[in-house]
Amino acid sequence: MIGPIISSGLISSAWDNLFAILLGMGFGFALEASGFSSSRKIIGTFFGYDFVVVKVFFTAAIVASLGLLYLNYLGLVDFSLLYIQPTFLASAIVGGVIMGIGFAMAGFCPGTSLCATAVGRIDGLVFFGGMFIGVFLFSEAFPLFENMYYSGSLGAKMVNSVFGISPELFTFLLVLAAVGMFIGASWVQKKVKKVEY
Amino acid sequence: MERKYTLLAILVIVLALGLVVLPKSNGRKEIDPKVLLDGVVERSRFLSVDQVTHRIIENDPSLELIDLRPADQFKTFALPGSINLNPDSLLSPYGSELLGEPGKDKVLYGNSDLIAEKAWLVCSRYSINRLYIMKGGMNEWFTTIIKVQQATGTPSTTDLDLISFRNAARQFFVGSGTATHTPIVPVQKEKAPLIRKAPSSSAGGGC
Repeated sequence: MIGPIISSGLISSAWDNLFAILLGMGFGFALEASGFSSSRKIIGTFFGYDFVVVKVFFTAAIVASLGLLYLNYLGLVDFSLLYIQPTFLASAIVGGVIMGIGFAMAGFCPGTSLCATAVGRIDGLVFFGGMFIGVFLFSEAFPLFENMYYSGSLGAKMVNSVFGISPELFTFLLVLAAVGMFIGASWVQKKVKKVEY
Repeated sequence: MERKYTLLAILVIVLALGLVVLPKSNGRKEIDPKVLLDGVVERSRFLSVDQVTHRIIENDPSLELIDLRPADQFKTFALPGSINLNPDSLLSPYGSELLGEPGKDKVLYGNSDLIAEKAWLVCSRYSINRLYIMKGGMNEWFTTIIKVQQATGTPSTTDLDLISFRNAARQFFVGSGTATHTPIVPVQKEKAPLIRKAPSSSAGGGC
């Protein structure tokens, strides 16, 4: 059985940065190709005239889940070697609310703002600048937020373990939810007045 | 929905359903004895008590401490965040779920290395990854972290840093009070000699 190529020791961790750059380029290309450098396209989710953001991210989630579970089942990936981002409940909620407000106001998330900047959009550049000012202020004021930042630590928590179900069953339910969302979004989109941009 | 999207939706539903209905493997794949031997010879499974303590203080979310001591000893004192697991239950569904949790470094320890080494060997045989042993177990942890140590001779900067870290760690676990074996004897207050003032001479005359 093999796991992720770096954590299983097949190649040195010195390659981390190269992989990060290559994956980042691929991710950026996919975002731009999906039209995510346009804030009007992204904001369409909130106004109901364009659901491409939700569709793309939901598709990515179900494809990755299915792929990982099948590779694990076939013995090609060791699930236990995967890095799982730890959950800090309080900071996740606060950060999620702040990011949601920023997302709805500007029509960008951090990744898509970089795409927009790369293709020369001024609104993307302004968002990008604002994001770095925010990062700087947060870093400087970190001692004030430190307790909240680390509170509600749940470790590397998986959603299926919270509900006490198997990863396979959770993925099946996620796929059903995604398909339901695709149908619902298409229905809403037909009802809402088409916006040209 | 367009026809191609309908087909794709059906395909992912079938694939997801396949995951649910496929027969489950028992999840325990025994590794090649040669690979196990390499793991036994390799010493990287050991974490020092200082490394473990540092990660506890840092509240490292990827750390999972598995205390293999008897339950009564665990109740008397346990490391923060540790989970008590009877060695008999290592391969039970609960033990398998605990040890197979992804994204966690599982650190095994008993009072010494003996039981942790055996548990590590059994678990490694069943391909459980990210498994470590706290070198020396709780006895070593208590001796190193909780007992007061003083620098001897002329310690290097590294030694001083380590002692400083351990002192700070001790305060983290037991509070700022330091254990002392010197009995506290109440100090007798010295009696101040009483000096009586000589009576002043009576005022002569006056109003």
